[in-house]
Amino acid sequence: MSSPGLQGLRPWIIQRISAVFIAVFIIYIFLLALISSPFNSNDWAAWVAIPYNNIFIGLFLIAVLWHAWIGIRDIVLDYIPNVVGRLLMLTLVGSTLTGSGLWGFKALFMVFIK
Amino acid sequence: MAVSDNRPFFLNLVIIRLPVTGFVSIFHRISGLLLFLAIPFSVYLLDISLQGSTGFSRAVDILNMPLLQLISLLLLWSIIHHFIAGIRFLLTDFDIGLEKQQATCFAWLVFIIDVIVFVLLAWGIFL
Repeated sequence: MSSPGLQGLRPWIIQRISAVFIAVFIIYIFLLALISSPFNSNDWAAWVAIPYNNIFIGLFLIAVLWHAWIGIRDIVLDYIPNVVGRLLMLTLVGSTLTGSGLWGFKALFMVFIK
Repeated sequence: MAVSDNRPFFLNLVIIRLPVTGFVSIFHRISGLLLFLAIPFSVYLLDISLQGSTGFSRAVDILNMPLLQLISLLLLWSIIHHFIAGIRFLLTDFDIGLEKQQATCFAWLVFIIDVIVFVLLAWGIFL
């Protein structure tokens, strides 16, 4: 954040890059679901345990959380004018997203344990 | 100031009359908020679905609850609108469709594609 003029540009560009990544991933998963046969719990866990799938689900999670953070932050800044309210709300949103991320990574990691 | 006295000076979404482009925009925001609220729950489902056959069938049971099916439909609409309107906004970034008439056309197109995709997917998933 060395240049004040660039302060809004970083989230703006991250919002768009993550959007494209999320969109491509969703289309990929959708097409995969279309062509794949019904699966049971073992097939599902085995699929998530394939390294590439595991990594890309993790990246997808990061992209979604980051994208959500920027979007919700904009909503909070638009609708909550006072500083204390903003701070409380952004803390709540940030904690929810961070918690979801850690929980998701735990779920993705635990596939390798059992 | 005499001319502008009747203009709304606040953005109360219930009172303000939005053009169709405005509806694309505000629904993009509402759907984004709904999808944000769904994140913790989705992660929860991912977690239990990976915990052996007991957890997997519990996740399936939860998704088959009538209330959850209703919420799923709402979230399905949210993803579709957020996705399609998002593509439209990316086109805006590249200065595509900024003329008033074109913008209106694009907005209607977004809603038409929304409906088509929603019907197809809801049909495919729930029937």
